[in-house]
Amino acid sequence: MSFDIDRFSHIESSVQRWDPRIKILSLGIFIFVVALLKTLPVAVASLFIAIIIIKITNIPFHFVANSIKVIIVFLAPFFFMLPFSYPGEAAFHIIGLPFAWEGLRLAILIFTKAVTIVLTTNAIFGSSRFDISMIALQSLKCPKLLVQMILFTYRYIFVFMDEVRRMEKAMRSKGFVMKANMNTLHTMGNFVGALLIRSFERTSRVYSAMLSKGYVGELHSMVRFEAHGKDFVKAVLVLMLTFAVLAADLIRVFTPAIKGWY
Amino acid sequence: MHIADGILSAPVLAAGFGGTVVIAAATMRKMDLDEIPKVSVMAAVFFVANLIHIPIGPTSIHFILNGLVGVILGPRAFAAIMLGVILQAFLFGFGGVTVIGVNCVMLGGGALIAYFIWQMRHRFPSGDRLEMVFGAIAGAVGVSFSGVILAAALFTSGDEFWATAGYALAAHVPALIIEAIVVGACVTFLKKARPDMLAGHVQKTYNKSVA
Repeated sequence: MSFDIDRFSHIESSVQRWDPRIKILSLGIFIFVVALLKTLPVAVASLFIAIIIIKITNIPFHFVANSIKVIIVFLAPFFFMLPFSYPGEAAFHIIGLPFAWEGLRLAILIFTKAVTIVLTTNAIFGSSRFDISMIALQSLKCPKLLVQMILFTYRYIFVFMDEVRRMEKAMRSKGFVMKANMNTLHTMGNFVGALLIRSFERTSRVYSAMLSKGYVGELHSMVRFEAHGKDFVKAVLVLMLTFAVLAADLIRVFTPAIKGWY
Repeated sequence: MHIADGILSAPVLAAGFGGTVVIAAATMRKMDLDEIPKVSVMAAVFFVANLIHIPIGPTSIHFILNGLVGVILGPRAFAAIMLGVILQAFLFGFGGVTVIGVNCVMLGGGALIAYFIWQMRHRFPSGDRLEMVFGAIAGAVGVSFSGVILAAALFTSGDEFWATAGYALAAHVPALIIEAIVVGACVTFLKKARPDMLAGHVQKTYNKSVA
């Protein structure tokens, strides 16, 4: 699994050229509005908006598909539970369990919203270099300490994934198989402990190196943000779409008077 | 367990962010420069450990290990969990961005409670298995607390989620057992190899006795 979400941030496209601060702010507002939608047709409309945005960034689909797979795994229980546990009348029964269409509708709604949000998140963080995105967050008043720690952690994640793969290879070459038994759990506990010790010792070496090069708690960057008119135009466009989506949801434009699929 | 976007209601999301800000401010007070690498390392380990799956029958369960983070970092564990949750949401949609607050309170709170339980070991006479037992209990309690908060978040988001809240709680029972064993084993290993890495470690001082 690779976590270099900014692998395609060098592509030339309208979204990649967008000022990261304004991009994060506008698309962030869009994300929060989508999270709170309650009607399915509006959620599907917002999904189309997200698909269009991702299409503009030219990020290949297989890259984004990874995140969608994660969402499916997360929401699978909801698909199984909500139709059978929805309070109210059941439409019919399957092997004794009451099945309600509203439950299925709710599960589909949740899934649509989650996929929309994950596509938009990929558009945000996949269209700029990650450290630039984090510095953009800093200009948006995110605490400096937090941003620094995020960047350190981001760097360490790749280091540790390598470390984990190396240790996994070593364990497998000694005949270790991952099963649900005490031996496995014991071994995993020792594995995590060994990973921790190696990591801490590595980080104290890295930290000493940084201190010796003059680190006093601030990461200086040469990144300068410049907002042009086009960035604001894109922001206004996104905000208008967000507002339209929100309004359509609140006034229930697409809900018929009778109780139906939506 | 993390929760995804699009499920919880607006007040719950707001409470999550509010709670995160409050707890973060309280636990990150006067953070020293030296602590930044340590916290980042733990956050990265938490991130990576969450990806390890143990196959159980037809499904698999992934490690959470927020109790372990609490046992090692003490109060700064909340910051480490927060970093892990943020990066999981940004980098590949594990959890979700709107529920970063709720996930932080859920997992970070569990880490802090685990640390609290871990510190209670000082009241007992030091023994061979003391760290292992308290590590196991801390690990289990860390995950249980997360389960309770998750169930509460679902519960307060609407009555259509009550059954799912119950399922979420029940799903934490096997996780509880697994975390207890893994954290107990890890703590035993650390006690032998690098006891100073565990939070609240009291360095034994030996009196230089004159012969």
